[in-house]
Amino acid sequence: MSDTASPAVEARQLVKRYGNVVAVDGVSFQATRGEIFGFLGANGAGKTTTLRMLCGLLRPTSGMALIDGIDIVAQPVPAKAKLGYLDEEPFVHPHLTGREFLDFVADLYGMARGRQRVERMERLLNLFDLAQKDGELIGGYSHGMRQKIGLASLLIREPSVLLLDEPTNGLDPRSARLVKDLLEELAARGTTVLLSTHILEVAQALCRRVAIIDRGRIVAIGSMDELRVQTGSEGANLEDLFLKLTAGPESRDMIERLLEGGS
Amino acid sequence: MSGALAVILRAQVLGAWNRLTKRNPARLVILAISLVVAGVFLGGGAFAVGATAGHFLPFALDSLLAAGFTALSLLMLVVGFPTVISSLFVGRDLLQLVVAPVRTRDIFAARLMTAVTANLLLSFILAAGVLGVGAGAGASWFYFPMALLLIVLQVLVVTSLQAILMTVILRWVPAKLARDVAAGVAGLTGAALYLAWNLNLRKTFGRRGAPDVTNLTSFVSRIDWLPTTWPGHALSAALQGSIGPALVWVLVTVALCVLLVATAELLYERTLLYGLGVFGAPTAAWRRRKARPIQPAPPLTAGALRARAELPTGSGAQGSPYRALAIKDWLGFRRDVRRLTRLLPALLLPLGYAAALTQPARSLSGFWSNVALVTFLSMFMSSALASPSVPSERRGFQLIRLAPLTMWQLLRAKVFIALPPVLATMLVFSLAVAVTSKSGAVQLLELVIFGVWLAAGFVSISVSGGAIDPHFEATDDRRSVGVVGTLTAIGGSLGFAVISIGALALFLFGEQAAAGTANLGPLPSTPVVGFAMILGGVLLVAAACALVGVLLTFANARLRSFDASISES
Repeated sequence: MSDTASPAVEARQLVKRYGNVVAVDGVSFQATRGEIFGFLGANGAGKTTTLRMLCGLLRPTSGMALIDGIDIVAQPVPAKAKLGYLDEEPFVHPHLTGREFLDFVADLYGMARGRQRVERMERLLNLFDLAQKDGELIGGYSHGMRQKIGLASLLIREPSVLLLDEPTNGLDPRSARLVKDLLEELAARGTTVLLSTHILEVAQALCRRVAIIDRGRIVAIGSMDELRVQTGSEGANLEDLFLKLTAGPESRDMIERLLEGGS
Repeated sequence: MSGALAVILRAQVLGAWNRLTKRNPARLVILAISLVVAGVFLGGGAFAVGATAGHFLPFALDSLLAAGFTALSLLMLVVGFPTVISSLFVGRDLLQLVVAPVRTRDIFAARLMTAVTANLLLSFILAAGVLGVGAGAGASWFYFPMALLLIVLQVLVVTSLQAILMTVILRWVPAKLARDVAAGVAGLTGAALYLAWNLNLRKTFGRRGAPDVTNLTSFVSRIDWLPTTWPGHALSAALQGSIGPALVWVLVTVALCVLLVATAELLYERTLLYGLGVFGAPTAAWRRRKARPIQPAPPLTAGALRARAELPTGSGAQGSPYRALAIKDWLGFRRDVRRLTRLLPALLLPLGYAAALTQPARSLSGFWSNVALVTFLSMFMSSALASPSVPSERRGFQLIRLAPLTMWQLLRAKVFIALPPVLATMLVFSLAVAVTSKSGAVQLLELVIFGVWLAAGFVSISVSGGAIDPHFEATDDRRSVGVVGTLTAIGGSLGFAVISIGALALFLFGEQAAAGTANLGPLPSTPVVGFAMILGGVLLVAAACALVGVLLTFANARLRSFDASISES
């Protein structure tokens, strides 16, 4: 059951195994209502797998994923009605136009038809500069445009929880800025945003708290100040903290070794 | 062979080897068995026909060989076209080759090796036939290598011609669209050939006596100028022991082949320079309709989002996921040339049969023949339309999984979407066969009710088959259902058909037995027997429903447990 006192998004000891490979290993965190929560990690760290478990695309090997207190595995339909998920490669239908796709998504989620829906669709298409592409099929869209239509398909129905995997990936600077503004605005209105990104500047600018995942495990979680305290790095920015927490060989050393080997 | 060509060929062979060896071993075994059976059946059949003709029709061998090569060329031209387009113009790996310091000639030569595969496979049947002719006519030893050489040359001639045609077509038509249309034409040709063969079977078996090849020889004399007949003339001369003329025909065939391959290579190079094929699409001509005028709407700025919260959420009718899926599928079907090309051959069969049956000489007699035809066509249509309905969601399936929608709802929607076209075709077909076989109104009604029952069952089973083993990443509907799903759909449909026909028989004969008018052999025609038969019919109907129910439940469970990512195709 939904519980207003419960966190908007909660991962409870989530584990995902593929044979002997543990992709996600006991991930736990909570995001509260109206919070933009950053989820950071290197390539292959387990960010996308965690997000996909939270939105119900992947079944956890163990642990629980809760949306507004609803277990997405036990009660998928009511949980999914509350959330919107944007994949790093948005799920779109290439043989529909942008407008038709938004209409499809609105119907899929049972949104009332009528003037307001059409008006909202027009606004979103205008907002993302997609209105002039009306006659064009999504199959012909660039990656950035697909990203925009994917975002528009989430915003048309205003879910209370947004799980976004690299939402600014492929966007031009203007659109990226627009997305950042939108997310802040949505959060201010009570939407919870779980943001997975590689772009640490975006995370630092938007997120009240962040979780850093490395090789399937959460290695740090909290606000910037809390992370600085945890790592004993006063005054460090998010990039420094991230590199410290996911320590690997220093990139400068690696470059030197590579160039020495090549010369 | 140049270094680059060897490198590209090695990569192609490695890719093909990996595709083969990384498959499920069970599938490999099935593939190998199918190939052996097809090879023995088709190759052996063609060889036997060729040997018989070589032995008994020595006067018509020139015409037979010339016609054989011409027919093969036409078949290759139509059926092998999609492979040629895919290999030379569509594959994305071409981009990498073009930016690498590799001569276009090497790229062309390497891709030509792949492009000829479909044509080579087709030529296998002719090769068996031509070798059979040589064996039957007692040809000299050099006839056999010459025959194989000429077939390879013919394959190269046709493939080069296809490449040349494509370099012209690409100036107006995008490569992928051309490939899809070509696949459609190939599918239609296959369906038309099957239909023609099937409808002529009775006629062929009905005729006895000496074969008449007068029409063939007179036809070949009219097309004698065509280069496709040259290899046939060369082999015919070799059979007669005329070495000089045989060599001349071989040489002109070689010259033609060299000329066409060189022209194709030159035009291919120019096509790459123009940036066509995989590198781009011709502009303007294939754009979709112009965008409709944009309705002015207040811009949704970040600030305006605040005001949006106060907007009423809508006053119209509630949106329906079923409607959403139906509209999306309809639009997708209409715009996806590949899906249309799958539908057209499926439609050709019922239409062809209906048209053929309207001819009095071919009209079927008897209600049960009509039942068998309706059953076969209903199964065929359902397989073509309903099997790929779930996997054709492709990556969009994840969108459905994210929506507050159960997999039951998805299956139900897919059944309801695929049912109307199958029903409509079956009703038209039932009407056509009932009218041409002069069935009464009662029999027509029985046939229509049975057709509706079959359509509902077959569509549900086919949708289930597709959902049980979906290949969401397949770009072609024909490969979108795996072996398990295909076998489940075929097995389920056959079982459903047998049970349904049994139930119909029990109902019809039971009714007659109850009225005391049935002829049931050793069984008495009494009301008790009639009642027992009708009861048996009811039990079979229940069994058919259970079969459909079990398959749908299994499909639902498989979709619910789907736990994989679907990459962009």
